[in-house]
Amino acid sequence: MLQQETPTLRGKPLAIVKDEGRTCIIAASKEAKKLGVKTGSRMSEALTVAPEIIAIPADFDLYWSATCKLKKLFESLSPDVSMFSLDEAFLDYTPLRQMHSSPQEFAKLIQSGVKDTLGSWVTCSIGISHNRFLAKMTGEVSGPDSITTIDLENKDLLLSQTDFKDVCGIGPRLARRLKGHGVVVPYQINFIPDGELKRSFGPFWSVELRRMGRGEEPLFLSRLKEAPSHMKSVGRSITGWQLCNSESVIKRTLYNLVSEIIYKVRSMNLAGRLVSISVNGGGRSWSNHVTLKHHICHTGELFQYVYYDLYKKWRRPFPVIKLAVRLGLLESRADLSQSLLPKWQKEERVSVACDKLVSSYGLFAVTSGLLARGPIIRPEVTGFLGDKQYQFM
Amino acid sequence: MYQTIHESVAVAGVYKKAEFTPKKFLWQKKIYPVDELTFVSDLRDGKTKKRRFSLVSGGNSYHLLFDRDRETWMLEEVWCD
Repeated sequence: MLQQETPTLRGKPLAIVKDEGRTCIIAASKEAKKLGVKTGSRMSEALTVAPEIIAIPADFDLYWSATCKLKKLFESLSPDVSMFSLDEAFLDYTPLRQMHSSPQEFAKLIQSGVKDTLGSWVTCSIGISHNRFLAKMTGEVSGPDSITTIDLENKDLLLSQTDFKDVCGIGPRLARRLKGHGVVVPYQINFIPDGELKRSFGPFWSVELRRMGRGEEPLFLSRLKEAPSHMKSVGRSITGWQLCNSESVIKRTLYNLVSEIIYKVRSMNLAGRLVSISVNGGGRSWSNHVTLKHHICHTGELFQYVYYDLYKKWRRPFPVIKLAVRLGLLESRADLSQSLLPKWQKEERVSVACDKLVSSYGLFAVTSGLLARGPIIRPEVTGFLGDKQYQFM
Repeated sequence: MYQTIHESVAVAGVYKKAEFTPKKFLWQKKIYPVDELTFVSDLRDGKTKKRRFSLVSGGNSYHLLFDRDRETWMLEEVWCD
């Protein structure tokens, strides 16, 4: 998208980093990938394989705008669309069989629609198969602007040629565990007996891996259309560009994260009672959580638990680079009874007034003096679109 | 990398199929013709709606920001190598 938007970047190897000064590559252009630059690697590693690489800060507004346009386009083409991530979606061809001569012809229509909507430089790979797992795997391993079909006859070839680390749903840790058992491609799972698979990977993953080995949809993909009625938790994390030992900066950052979480939770008319915090720094980590007997939906209340009840009990034995906060066990506020305590009702009245101002003038238009000094961390969309229920609200 | 300018500009363009396309803009008493409109992003914070036009003029890339509530134009950013 950045190359579409800024023609001077076209044809150049680009590494997308979260912000200026950051070193973790969150995306790479196709030119950079050709040179061996991988998503998730560090700039120092990328510079050794591609000295001419250019680091560009991510533009989340641009990506989110493109995702919204894609969603609108896909919904104009098919009645059955599931947005999977910022730049991936599943479109069911079944209800469209009478309208197009073949899925391949429909795929061409999608590709031309994407180019008309986002621009001619944007490429669109389409995988066609009888389930989402194989369609996604096909789209993942085929080249830019390709249309690849996987049917029952050639699926074993795909399953025996795709590295497990490129398979949707397999994280780096599980890929390493599989490699430790000599399994590098999904097809090899078929040669492991059920008992051994269960002993090595547990009751959940043994079933999921067996499905993947057969080219069947794992649970997280088959349940994609059964979206829960509301989000179960809302979290926010931030990684700084250097280790931090300043109490005031940590306090301000935690307040900032808490404000965003409560803004999202209140926008969805939810309240939660599982509060968790995790901290990383210099290769070390710490986390803690508390499950409350009542649901909370006020910034001050969540900050009280996060900062004073959880964080302050930790004596900060190492400087911090990453902070993460989460509010879980969310329930619809319509199903919960309101507290009768005067203090809670006062806080609710203040929150309702702030909600009105924020909905008109934007998040952080009204906030605590804690955030007055220093930059404000604003909401971002994530590549995997973990909070799509909130984003597409 | 884009450098922030955040200066007011005047923009002339055409409406076609209910969409505005900038054709040229006036910045610091100089007219910049739009050679290519590369992308249009819709931004929103609260009820404030803004539309960002990414465009190319004379080989340089620019971001023009249109505040849809106040109907004002800003030259937000310019690409600098």
